Amino acid sequence: MEGALASIEGLRLAEYIRQSLYFFPFLESLHVVGLTMVFGSIAVLDLRLLGIASIRRPVARVAIDVEKWAWWAFALTAVTGALMFITNASVYYHNTFFRLKMAMLVLAGVNVAFFEFTARRSLQQWNADARAPLAGRAAATVSLVLWIAIIFMGRWIGFTTTRVTGTKPDPGVNIEDLLPK
Amino acid sequence: MTQFAGWLAATQASVWIASHEWVIPTIQSIHIVAIGVALVSAFMIGFRALGWTGSDQTPAETMERFWPWLAGSLVVLLATGALMVAGEPARELLAFSFWLKMCLVVIATALTWWVGRSQTRALTFVTLLVWVGIIFLGRLIAYDHIWGSWSMSPKA
Repeated sequence: MEGALASIEGLRLAEYIRQSLYFFPFLESLHVVGLTMVFGSIAVLDLRLLGIASIRRPVARVAIDVEKWAWWAFALTAVTGALMFITNASVYYHNTFFRLKMAMLVLAGVNVAFFEFTARRSLQQWNADARAPLAGRAAATVSLVLWIAIIFMGRWIGFTTTRVTGTKPDPGVNIEDLLPK
Repeated sequence: MTQFAGWLAATQASVWIASHEWVIPTIQSIHIVAIGVALVSAFMIGFRALGWTGSDQTPAETMERFWPWLAGSLVVLLATGALMVAGEPARELLAFSFWLKMCLVVIATALTWWVGRSQTRALTFVTLLVWVGIIFLGRLIAYDHIWGSWSMSPKA
């Protein structure tokens, strides 16, 4: 495993991100845009299933509105997360909060599968109801708790790991160098 | 501003926040959860104007559904943001990104209200971009040196 992690860190792309002053902050920002869209859009559906919001709209309509955005945002979050991971793979791999976060992401996936195979099967029967049957409400609650916990874990990774930066000296480039004198 | 940051850093609340390791990450995590609610609420209002989502709802119904959540999450964001300023006054108050972000939050909120009422497509794209820009600026507070002499931070 250590060998694999070391070779991931040795990738030219990983080296490139470490050496750049702006690439990592850029990835972090896109990661936040992606993850907040994932959480927010999934929450819209979860709150509908729980009978808290959008209750006058059929569940299927609400789902169509948010699901495709959630998937695109998840893809963005996964790609930017993977790019941050490769810059310092061995540190993240051994970080407890990183491991908890990955475990929770798997659980969130299992929870989606549970919903698909239970409540969603009979969606046509309760589509217009103010709230979903028990299995749907349970999945929605688990989803909200997991995604909020995932956000907390993500923030804790940032506070318990040290970002590795390049060995090149800071060229001192800033916004003023890009503007006409 | 440096004097004010120094005064704020010496207050009891600031000292308490700064001396407990778990407080800042907890506040930041709540802040990010609220950003999720705010961003998606603004996007749903914008996407309705673009005809991308919620076409079974009138613009007024979409505003009725999402505006209170946007307003509510903004209150949470201001409260958690204020606590972060109290905890790390110099990091926030001397950062160019912070002040630009504050201006854009006011602009984005007003634009989202306007988009929800007027359904103007071109304005919608600008509004959504401003919200994404606010998220970037929030992260960039940690890297304020990129602004050169525009940053008041001594580290820049």
